Amino acid sequence: MSEDIATTVLQSAGGGRDVPASPSPWRRWLGENGLQKWAFYVPVIFLVLFFVLPMATTVVWSVFERTQFWMEPGFTFFAYENFFTSARAENYVYSMIHSAWAVVISFALGFPIAVFVRRRVPRAAQHRVILLFILPFMISELVRVFAMRPILGRYGVLNSLFMDIGLIDEPITAILFSPLGVVIGDVVSFLPFMVFAGFLAMEAVQPYVFEVCDDLGARTLRTFRDIIVPLAAPGIFAGGIFIFVNGLGVALVPIILGGPGAVNAGLIVNQAIVALDFPLAMAISTIMIATLVALLYIGHRLFDLTKILEPIN
Amino acid sequence: MRDDYTSELGHGLKWAYLLGIVGALLAPVFYVIYISFNEFGFGARIYVFTVDWYRVVLGDKMLVASLEWTIYLALAAVATAVPMGLLSAKLYKKTRYKVAIVTLMLAPLFVPADIMASSLLVFFRHLNGIFELIGEALGWAWLTHWFELGFFTALVGQILYTLPYAFVVILITMSRYHPQQTEAARSCGATAWQAFWHVEFPQIRAGVFSACAFVVILSFNEATRTALLKGGFDTFSNVLVSQMLNVGMSEESYAMAGIMSIGAMTVIGSILIYTLVRSERLEREARAKAEPVMST
Repeated sequence: MSEDIATTVLQSAGGGRDVPASPSPWRRWLGENGLQKWAFYVPVIFLVLFFVLPMATTVVWSVFERTQFWMEPGFTFFAYENFFTSARAENYVYSMIHSAWAVVISFALGFPIAVFVRRRVPRAAQHRVILLFILPFMISELVRVFAMRPILGRYGVLNSLFMDIGLIDEPITAILFSPLGVVIGDVVSFLPFMVFAGFLAMEAVQPYVFEVCDDLGARTLRTFRDIIVPLAAPGIFAGGIFIFVNGLGVALVPIILGGPGAVNAGLIVNQAIVALDFPLAMAISTIMIATLVALLYIGHRLFDLTKILEPIN
Repeated sequence: MRDDYTSELGHGLKWAYLLGIVGALLAPVFYVIYISFNEFGFGARIYVFTVDWYRVVLGDKMLVASLEWTIYLALAAVATAVPMGLLSAKLYKKTRYKVAIVTLMLAPLFVPADIMASSLLVFFRHLNGIFELIGEALGWAWLTHWFELGFFTALVGQILYTLPYAFVVILITMSRYHPQQTEAARSCGATAWQAFWHVEFPQIRAGVFSACAFVVILSFNEATRTALLKGGFDTFSNVLVSQMLNVGMSEESYAMAGIMSIGAMTVIGSILIYTLVRSERLEREARAKAEPVMST
């Protein structure tokens, strides 16, 4: 309302300025109702052309017929059959379980930090504390995952430390090149995102909520479980989805930290591309995108994900 | 009532936990940097400080060429993704369809690199085929090779990766800007461009420059999309991945990882320090203005 009034006042204040002569067609074409207006839609057009369209056509390519080096138009579910009747489907399910573990661990480690910052750090300093997590997030995921090798390896820092303090006699070999290594790699890669998403989500929990809980004598765990988590659910869910989907689809982590049994959807797609089986790669991508869309739909129905945007608005 | 204010130890422990997590995320990276300066590399019993491995990396023509390509790609990504981020943030501010715009802008974040890269790879190959067919049919040779794998296709992959981050960073900065100022400038006779350049941009400049830094780092770090879409050249992170997988973890690999980490930390560290110093200064100024004037 006040904005409308301000607009009206400002417009009337400018009413006395000179009315320009009719602009040339060239200026009109370049002007505010011409090119300038449409310039704002360039990113949208770009994303529709190079993101939405390729993702949508993935479904079409997945039913094409495979040729020796490429594919040709056709309609066959061979790629899907190939996926579901081989060990790939099993690997896909296992990688979903590993990704789910990565989400749970990231939530357990990262979300309390977001709660602590929102609840106990003065408002002016909150963003500065969260900025601390930008630094690890901005260092290449490749380097961060790669750096886990000398830490988790047979002769790595962790095993040496455990042996030095007498906790173990033999190096533990099950940490690296195993599904456990992949889960650790996913957590290291994506944990900062849970902190960011949690921090944004905690915007929905007003400070007086904590005061009410304290006044009523609610214990920390109960406040967390019954008050904070339900209120911050949209943000937690968005952070969880990001970690889950990337854990499922980023091949780098199993390539560097996983052994022969640690495969995820991204790695299966990579292997299919190397084997020049493009319809199979597209079929797995389609399944992956369908998984993502289904999760987002469920999340939206349960938590109304548009609430995450409230702090930006 | 029990809370952190009555328990200093509890409060301190929570801070220790927070800093411990940041430390745990950074410690492996620092360890890699530490090893990269050891003459004998990883696993050696003795540590002799050297910068020789960095000299080896920077003296390798292939690696320097890959570094150059990485820089070109990062510059091109900044030149395209940041203006697009700015345009989309402005569109978001003025459109009624906010949910649709923000969903579209952030959607690429939720599609894993390998899935997006493989979809784009197949899409570009088909597009190239279609353009070639049209070019041949119409006798227009200039239509062919538009979407052959190369710098342009790699750049598209990088824009898709960096655009959501640029959008978010600029949008957050823009949320502190009052659009009435633009309206006031327009009422005083300024064109849309003048109102933007002289009134709005100075206030969102920090966000735009931060977006530039983020895009440079993200572009520099990106490996998966570029590997599938780049065609005939190599980027620094692509060479690192291929060395790690084919040669193993050599001293050179540690030095390359060191270069990537030190570069990112320097850029982001500088931004963080600048942001903190600037906000401290602004707060001090605001406090000084708010102090009551004492009559003498």
